[in-house]
Amino acid sequence: MELFLKIANKGTIEYMLLGAGTSLMVAIFSLFFGSVLGLVSAAMKMSKSKILRGIATVYVEIFRGTPMMLQIMIFYLCGPIFTKFLFGFVYTPNPIIVGIFAVSINSGAYITELFRAAIQSIDKGQWEASKTIGLNYFETMRYVILPQSLKRILPPFVNEFIVLIKDSSLLSTIGAVELLQTATVLGGKYYNYLIPLSMAAVMYLVMTLTIAHFARKLERRLAESD
Amino acid sequence: MIKAEHISKYFDKFKAIDDVSLHVKKGEVICIIGPSGSGKSTLIRCLNGLESPEEGTVTVNGTVLDYKKPNDVTKICSQIGFVFQHFNLFPHMTVLDNLTLGPVVAQKLDKAECEKRAVELLRRVGLEEKKDAYPSQLSGGQKQRVAIARALIQAPEVILFDEPTSALDPEMIGEVLEVMKELAEAGMTLLVVTHEMGFARKVASRVIFMDEGHIVEDNTPSEIFDNPKSDRLVDFLSKVIHM
Repeated sequence: MELFLKIANKGTIEYMLLGAGTSLMVAIFSLFFGSVLGLVSAAMKMSKSKILRGIATVYVEIFRGTPMMLQIMIFYLCGPIFTKFLFGFVYTPNPIIVGIFAVSINSGAYITELFRAAIQSIDKGQWEASKTIGLNYFETMRYVILPQSLKRILPPFVNEFIVLIKDSSLLSTIGAVELLQTATVLGGKYYNYLIPLSMAAVMYLVMTLTIAHFARKLERRLAESD
Repeated sequence: MIKAEHISKYFDKFKAIDDVSLHVKKGEVICIIGPSGSGKSTLIRCLNGLESPEEGTVTVNGTVLDYKKPNDVTKICSQIGFVFQHFNLFPHMTVLDNLTLGPVVAQKLDKAECEKRAVELLRRVGLEEKKDAYPSQLSGGQKQRVAIARALIQAPEVILFDEPTSALDPEMIGEVLEVMKELAEAGMTLLVVTHEMGFARKVASRVIFMDEGHIVEDNTPSEIFDNPKSDRLVDFLSKVIHM
């Protein structure tokens, strides 16, 4: 107990909360950019053009088929080499920005499949009815298909958000100061890993359980119009 | 108004309709009857661009449908109302929004004006008080009447019905047929795929009997029902009219 109070003082808790904030921010940004990417690539995957379908399929398969940690490392460690080769300049990568970039692209691959499955689960009669009242493809998507898909996508989407909060811990490997990183730093400082790591676990749980709780509430609200 | 000339439609190897020609004139009430799989639904789906026939042409108000330009087809065919067997209302919208979506979004008309028209049409099908309900709160018959109102708000010159009562409980069929009969009496051009022989006999001005992708007979209701010429029609009628 005495040891716990010594380690869990105001300064360390603030430090870790800052780390938790960074984790949350990485997850939110990645979910946002991943959704944009996922929506575009889902539309490509369902398009009539073989080339667009091909590009989207290659993207999804590559990023779902390799470890996220590897992807993060390639973007962080090899990014400057690529830009030198392609555009002739190098830069010093910021681990958080590169991390958001990598996690977004990875998440986009998973979200592609979420969107595709949800959109294709809508009865084709909805497309036909939209056509008979004169809506074109984009209008049908915007007003008829997506609103119904979003309701179906919500549960796996929240799940993806929770996964991203946990996966953001992988950014500690490239030195981003997120929640796990703050815990290991404190562990090294106090020669005690049990307490900071346990505190990190509690903070992760608070975040993930809170999100799951609100998601359930929202789902129930949305279910009312069914 | 709508003219189909020598159209054929294949589903893989299966020829759903085979060299069919049909001319729908203004004010006609045409019922299409025939056994399942005879191509009735496919035929009317070809007439408003939901299916594209591999052979032949469909002409709507003087314009030949060009299936390579789907947006043009949609635009032309939105002048044709279509009522589905399974209603296909938009479940996430209120009845009122179901009606106004087309005119407001596709035709860019004024929303308040459209809502006024929508309420009038709902009154016409007897569902004014349901304007704020969601489709899931309606009975099958009510859903189909909303679907008819949704077709009417496009101000169509002709409405196609694809087995509008086949998915309904028996006690709800009457209310839908009644609305259709009123439309016919008001001079609307209707093309109805149906198994309701009583409706075809009483309301139609022309009945078409289809079998195996062909139009076998095309005549007045009394000729079709009282004086069938082909063996297949005789056989079909003996099976569907039980008493």
